[in-house]
Amino acid sequence: MEMLHTISMNLMPLVYFAVWSCYMWLFITDNAIAHKWSTRLAFGAVILDTTAMVHLSLELKRLPMGGTLEFLGLLALALLGTYLLIEMRQVSKHTGFLITGMAFLCKLLADVLSTPAPEVNPYLSDPGFAGHALFILVAYTALSLSFLYAVLYMILARQLNRRHFGLLFRRLPSLDGLERMSLGAIEIGAPMLFFSLSLGHLWMYNLAGTITPELATELSPYDPKVVVSWIVFLAFAIILIGYRFLGWRGRRMVTMAAIAYLGLVLTMSLLNLYAPSFHKFQPPAAVESPSGES
Amino acid sequence: MTRPTTLHVHSINHHLAPVEIRERVHLDSTQTVALIKELCGNKKDSGCVSVLPISTCNRTEIYVEVIAGHDADEIVGAALVALGLDPALFLGEYTVSLDGHDATEHLYRVASGLDSMMIGEPQISGQLKDAYRLAREHHDLGPGLLRAFHGAFRAGKRVRSETQISHGAVSIAYAAVELARKFFDNLSLQKATLVGAGETGALAARHFLQHNIGELTIVNRSPEKAMELARVLTAEKEAGMGSTARQDGPNVSKEFDLTNAQITVHPWEDLVGALANADVILSTTGATEPIITVAMAEQAVSERKGKPLFMLDIAVPRDIQPAVGDIGGVFLFGLDDLKQIIAGNVESRRSQIPAAMRINAEEMDALQEWLDDVDLRPTVAEFRSYLENLKDKQVGHVRKRESEAVAEAVERSLQQFIKKVVGRSVSALKSSPSRAERERDLEALHRIFGNGKED
Repeated sequence: MEMLHTISMNLMPLVYFAVWSCYMWLFITDNAIAHKWSTRLAFGAVILDTTAMVHLSLELKRLPMGGTLEFLGLLALALLGTYLLIEMRQVSKHTGFLITGMAFLCKLLADVLSTPAPEVNPYLSDPGFAGHALFILVAYTALSLSFLYAVLYMILARQLNRRHFGLLFRRLPSLDGLERMSLGAIEIGAPMLFFSLSLGHLWMYNLAGTITPELATELSPYDPKVVVSWIVFLAFAIILIGYRFLGWRGRRMVTMAAIAYLGLVLTMSLLNLYAPSFHKFQPPAAVESPSGES
Repeated sequence: MTRPTTLHVHSINHHLAPVEIRERVHLDSTQTVALIKELCGNKKDSGCVSVLPISTCNRTEIYVEVIAGHDADEIVGAALVALGLDPALFLGEYTVSLDGHDATEHLYRVASGLDSMMIGEPQISGQLKDAYRLAREHHDLGPGLLRAFHGAFRAGKRVRSETQISHGAVSIAYAAVELARKFFDNLSLQKATLVGAGETGALAARHFLQHNIGELTIVNRSPEKAMELARVLTAEKEAGMGSTARQDGPNVSKEFDLTNAQITVHPWEDLVGALANADVILSTTGATEPIITVAMAEQAVSERKGKPLFMLDIAVPRDIQPAVGDIGGVFLFGLDDLKQIIAGNVESRRSQIPAAMRINAEEMDALQEWLDDVDLRPTVAEFRSYLENLKDKQVGHVRKRESEAVAEAVERSLQQFIKKVVGRSVSALKSSPSRAERERDLEALHRIFGNGKED
């Protein structure tokens, strides 16, 4: 079991590196072989890493999100998986090097700096919390990709305005395509955020009677992070409605997506610094049972 | 025994010959057929095995396979004289004459677009295939010419698919489409407005229609001219193809697919309305003053809700006020921008030459390998045929006396035997210490097993 884990830990960064190299090769040369193999490699990496993650979860009997490094490992998988979904919908591969590069970095840090499992939040063993945490990870990953595509849109628009017909002009998808990729990411992220928040609320009510009164007062639906997440969901929902029903397009769409995401990052950063929240990686002080069976 | 042949080419092309000369040496299909018949009608006398003439706007080339030892220049010259053509023009100072390996290399360069005026242009591939078909319709191509052309077609195909030598627009009209595609993935969902109905506008419109633009609105000071252009484009739509648009990009479909395109005419007085309704604006009028002002563009863009407006001004003097480009959401380009894109694409194509040459070299090596053994094939085929006949007879005897299963087993066994004997003979012939010894061995093999000898 341990040997399998060691193999996967050493192998996965190499697999992610291979995926990134293939997308980078595609971006620089537009090579037909790279075009053919990039998606296949990425798909293979997702299957391999998902298998490794499931295996690790079974071994640890919890979601492998027990610290920053474990989180980075899962984030790498979420990045690659979400990117593949967007790529398959938009049939454009030339932005893959950016996302697979980020995924590779996350994976490398997660596996190279990996230390023995820290004391982790026991809620990670709870299926309700695990589902909530996974959904929120995918949701925020997708919204981050939406921001990335919005920025790429602005960069390409700037290049066109300045008549820079270089590599970015030749390789990046059209403005239209980047806009749809940004929107596609929101279409994945916003519903995921909704499901994740809903699941979080349901899970919280399910815990009633299994936790200490002190903790119960902490687990509030009005936790600042929860409230901000709902506001962020609303903002992205408005963007989707604007696109579908009000004809918002182009610069207006991507600017709104970028502002919504930057607002999210800024607010969450401020909350992390100044506002108390029960959303922490550290284990809570007094939890009677992670499974809520006591 | 087959006598060895050599390949020759006489090429008058854009590198050396000015257009006046290229016009004079151009061969139409009637002249091409006459030349084939003249050269190959009396093969034994002339020494000509086969000929393949090709004539395009940039080159006239005569590929000829002759029996070794014969003078290709003399053979082709005599045929030209017989047809009333001037041999001094075809074989003179503007002609590049190449033999053997050099001739083959030239053919491969031509087929892969490396010898074209615009590197990587795809038309030459089709033109070569047309010439090849025409030649085959009127005579049997010799083995050398046949194999060389097959190899050249394969090399051309590989160069185009494995390198980016044909990528990127190299004409103004196609560069306009390429630029528009940086804004909109799917042109069939977009609307274009053509301001001006002159020749340049018509050419640009055809390219956009060829790339399936969703709607085309023509606006012109003279509504009659706009109507006329709309009629021409609609007629082309009904005919299902465009006859005048150049196809110089890899993504250009061979035939127009205008089935979904709507071509309409809009009154000049409501130019602003036409602008507001368009995603792509092409302006090509002969006006001496700008006809699309900042105010008009601002009005057009105000209703777009963020969607970019792509404006292309390919008129000289310019039709669109330069300040229009400063309006948010408007992307204004002109002729110089298109030329800049073309220059970048040409440079990019040039960078693919080494890769293309590597592919050509690989394909030429394969051809050379085949040519090295070409003298073996007829004799080895005779030898194999002799052994096969022998095997069939022996299996027939066995079949009469034994069961079908035994006959099949004997047949399989003899087949293996033939394979080994022939294989051994071929490798022994290939490794002959000298050409003379190889010819001697082949002669012996031919004498013993050739000429339909049977036991």
